[in-house]
Amino acid sequence: MAPESDDTRSAGAGTDSEVPARADDAPVPRSAGPRPSVPRSAGPRPTVSQPAAHGPDAELAVRVVGLTKSYGSFVALRGIDLEVRRGEVLALLGPNGAGKTTAVEILEGYRNRDAGDVSVLGHDPARRERSLRERVGMVLQECAVDPYLTVAEALTQRAGLYRAPRGVDEVVGLVGLEAKAGSRVKTLSGGQQRRLDLGLALIGDPELIFLDEPTTGFDPSARREAWDVVRDLCAEGRTVVLTTHYMDEAQALADSVVVLAGGRVVASGPPDTLGGRDQGMSTVRFVPPDGVTLADLPLPEGVEARLRAGFVEFAVPEPTAALHALTRWALGRGEGLSGLAVERPSLEDVYLSLTGDPPASSGEAR
Amino acid sequence: MNDVRVAAAQVGYEQKAYWRNPMAAIFTFAFPIIFLLVVGGSAGPSRVPGYTLRYDQYVVVAMLAFGLIAACYTNLAMVVCTRRDSGVLKRMRGTPIAVGSYIAGLIGSVLIVVAILTVIVVSLGIAFYDLHFPYHPLAVVVTLFVGIVTFCALGLAVTILVPNADAAPAIINGLYFPVVFISGVFYPLAQGSVLARIADWFPIFHMIRALVSAFEGGPGSGLRPGDLAVMAVWAVAALVFSARRFRWEPRRPNA
Repeated sequence: MAPESDDTRSAGAGTDSEVPARADDAPVPRSAGPRPSVPRSAGPRPTVSQPAAHGPDAELAVRVVGLTKSYGSFVALRGIDLEVRRGEVLALLGPNGAGKTTAVEILEGYRNRDAGDVSVLGHDPARRERSLRERVGMVLQECAVDPYLTVAEALTQRAGLYRAPRGVDEVVGLVGLEAKAGSRVKTLSGGQQRRLDLGLALIGDPELIFLDEPTTGFDPSARREAWDVVRDLCAEGRTVVLTTHYMDEAQALADSVVVLAGGRVVASGPPDTLGGRDQGMSTVRFVPPDGVTLADLPLPEGVEARLRAGFVEFAVPEPTAALHALTRWALGRGEGLSGLAVERPSLEDVYLSLTGDPPASSGEAR
Repeated sequence: MNDVRVAAAQVGYEQKAYWRNPMAAIFTFAFPIIFLLVVGGSAGPSRVPGYTLRYDQYVVVAMLAFGLIAACYTNLAMVVCTRRDSGVLKRMRGTPIAVGSYIAGLIGSVLIVVAILTVIVVSLGIAFYDLHFPYHPLAVVVTLFVGIVTFCALGLAVTILVPNADAAPAIINGLYFPVVFISGVFYPLAQGSVLARIADWFPIFHMIRALVSAFEGGPGSGLRPGDLAVMAVWAVAALVFSARRFRWEPRRPNA
């Protein structure tokens, strides 16, 4: 689950390796042309040129201050602030109707804001400048490809719209559609169309990519493959803004998470510390050895343990000492502690407490 | 980026998409050709009052107009509504393509379709109904061009009235069928009749009259500036409406 992206790369990463670094034929080749793959957050990024901008926009791909938007009497965004650093993955979380899609569509230039400052790669997206559209890729919620073209034709068509596109074959490989390159779009499965959609977002070689619920409807292995694609994009120094309903997706991919609820930012930060998650209580859980009662256990002062479904459970702010005492006690008896686990609040637990809403309710309101 | 080159490439993709979707071709080609062969063949050599063409020859020209409207108005409007609903238009708008290149690609593709249709229909007319090769070929080209512009503009404009793709066929055809029936596409209008006076307000009747004139061997250029002017007024109105109100996304609540 660690969001490190370079663990599957061979040591020779940086060249167009002949030997795949992975045994499986995952459609996430590292053969992204001459792009060296470097670990994220590792110094200068050689592939995506950094414009010689000055001021805050040199560091930030996206800067939003006080963004508000209403649809008639419905207030979708009530003054949100957010920043996306270049080369990072930002995940926008929130229940349906929280304003995620509205916020992203304002950043994409599809909607006009009512108030606030918005800068995307140094541009105001509301002006819909072509020079900005050259540098931004997007996957929208709808899969949007002409059904009568083939995969290769759709990518070739889109490539022709950009000044310096990536190669069609390269992108076909990137999204794992080699076997379908000559097939018409309408014959693809939903997941394959979604992957083509991602390919279309990448064909223009964008610096910044917006992914609106990119893996909705994917099977688990397709999701993992899509995650690998996103990690590779970041390794190349690109910036990704994604919205998702999946907490594991945010946990796996995001450097930084922003939780929206009711048109406001209710929390933001790295996924591991969001909402004081790292400060929360840890729960220790194990199956007690036969014949042992709760009173026999060496628990820290003032900690109450309880039995639940055959497990002993107790919560402590910091589990190291308690675990040490417990495991020494067990080893002293010549026994193990089966099912031993230490759990921190999951991102989903934190999310639920922040939004007071289950993460995947139905009925999208925009 | 070269907008003209992009537009030319778009014409190619539009053509591929067009010919791979058989439904679009049916109304544009199959219907006019079948109608032409069946009705034209049973019409006999009687002359149309007020025209020098025979009735079967008139049907040839009217079916050319019918096919042109199917290609420009009906098909273009359906394509736009379908793509708007599926998000293709929205997605295109997020790319660096110029709006003009995209629209030019659509209309360029329609031009090719109408050119092919014209060759087929006129050839059939010459082969089976003694239709003379147009006496005023330039007038035919000019009239077809004004017709293409007018009905493409109307096709774009009608999409503004369509909330979503489910409603598209009903609205697009619902507006057009009544007009087509009273405009002399299937039978010549009696001059001065009530229907003719109503049809006089709409562009279809004028396109047929201008096309017939261009095929007839009368004196002068064969052009009918008055009819073309009525079509041009509709075209300008439709273009202004489109430029102001064109929607890239389907209408939905709160948006």
